[in-house]
Amino acid sequence: MNFLRKYWAIFQITLINSLAYPGELIGRSLMIVPFMWIFHQLWKVTFGAAGTDIINGMTLHSTMWYLMMAETIELSRPQLARTISENVKDGSIAYILNKPYNFLLYQFSNSMGETVFRAVMNAVFGGLVVWWLAGLPPAPLGWVFAVPALLGTWIMNFCIACLIGLSAFLVEEVSPFMWIYQKFVFILGGFLIPLDFYPDWLQAIAKSLPFAYMIYGPAKLFVAPSMELLVHVLSMQAIWIAALGAILVLSYRRGVAYLTVNGG
Amino acid sequence: MKHLKFLLAIWQANLQSVMEYRVSFLTQVVGMMLNNFIYFAIWLIFFDRFKDVRGWGASDMYVTFGVLASAFGLVSLFFGNAFVLGDIVNNGRLDYYLSLPRPVLLHAVASRMITSGMGDFTYGFISYALSGQFAWDGLLRFILAILLAAVVFASFLILVNSLAFWVGIVSSFTNLMINAMLTFGIYPITLFDNYAKLILFTVIPAALMGAVPAEYIRAASWQTLAELLLGAMILLGLAVSVFRSGLKRYESGSAIQIEV
Repeated sequence: MNFLRKYWAIFQITLINSLAYPGELIGRSLMIVPFMWIFHQLWKVTFGAAGTDIINGMTLHSTMWYLMMAETIELSRPQLARTISENVKDGSIAYILNKPYNFLLYQFSNSMGETVFRAVMNAVFGGLVVWWLAGLPPAPLGWVFAVPALLGTWIMNFCIACLIGLSAFLVEEVSPFMWIYQKFVFILGGFLIPLDFYPDWLQAIAKSLPFAYMIYGPAKLFVAPSMELLVHVLSMQAIWIAALGAILVLSYRRGVAYLTVNGG
Repeated sequence: MKHLKFLLAIWQANLQSVMEYRVSFLTQVVGMMLNNFIYFAIWLIFFDRFKDVRGWGASDMYVTFGVLASAFGLVSLFFGNAFVLGDIVNNGRLDYYLSLPRPVLLHAVASRMITSGMGDFTYGFISYALSGQFAWDGLLRFILAILLAAVVFASFLILVNSLAFWVGIVSSFTNLMINAMLTFGIYPITLFDNYAKLILFTVIPAALMGAVPAEYIRAASWQTLAELLLGAMILLGLAVSVFRSGLKRYESGSAIQIEV
């Protein structure tokens, strides 16, 4: 238990730090407002053109709340890969490595501290806009089921972002990997269009990859909660976390073995 | 002419600077093109399922996405500091530009080249070529349209960032505005009602960066060209005036700065 206390302290410090600039936090969270408004325009016209209230089991109302959750997840992600790659490139990683904590757990606690309040603020602003545009939020059970899935999403994102950041041990520039990872989340995660609207073959591909359990899983649980879906999403997240976590730990060990820090 | 020579010299120095790291340069250019390809696939999935949005189809999206990406890339390449002008003001880094006998705004915004812009710029042409609307005279219109859309975008960035002279830190607001501009620019204009269109031609002039240039590329029309030209000139005039007006309020940080 003592072992975890220091990481809890790191999490708390980052959390408090993120509250030190409320204007910045609010300004950043307002970004969700235009996105939700334009999504509403797009899907209102699309449902109208289709001449139906339900497309593949989704209504305009559930689509909008799905997209609110998807946006909340995406906009709350910290720039972890960039931070780690900068640490590696400018050598400041040396100052973190010689401290009495595990580098990966330190980064995880730090990123979670940044994520939590951002997510809450995005959900508040996004929720208010969608409530105004599309109607009441989903049933409380949706909120309850979405929370553990959100935690799984954040851990998965941490593993992938950390891997991209650590790739700075091998390549000069990691930005393209971040862009492409983000776009995979957009497409195969069902970020801009719920996976339910995809052709069957693409749905099958998307659901066999981790990205679907980072966006589609929690967002779908939010609007259509069921015990079966909850078990499926959480178990798939656990499998992917185990796989990605193992790759991350191995990569980190190899990366540190390569590390050369010059000067002081 | 004197300013053009000056700009060419800056751009040459910027290019030499980014080419110093060739692998990084190529990775960013190719990576950004790939990024755009993947992003655009979302629209292909959407239009494959829903066919069109009030008469707006995948082919129109190719053209709109193309002009927007190229204009964005052009500004990133040649006026990269326009994205962070507010930070430059807040950190007192305008001191450097003020102390030199060159136009402050032009010098400040042109002093940085964002490498990935080359990927965006190139991708725009590919997107136009894939649109199924390619024609040689259309290509000339495409080039003219991206130049004017780039003027619109650069002016918008300068306007938003110039608020830093009055309100201090504007980085969150700037990001919000850039995101709004790009998001509204890429979505079909037919989605919006008249009030929304008014906003998209004025407060967030995304229509002048996406829909209007795309319309001009699709069908040559003096009226559309005049709208685009007029919009670009008004925004540019406004951006320069607001920057100059703000510059009078600028206070040096007296910090020692090194511009590399």
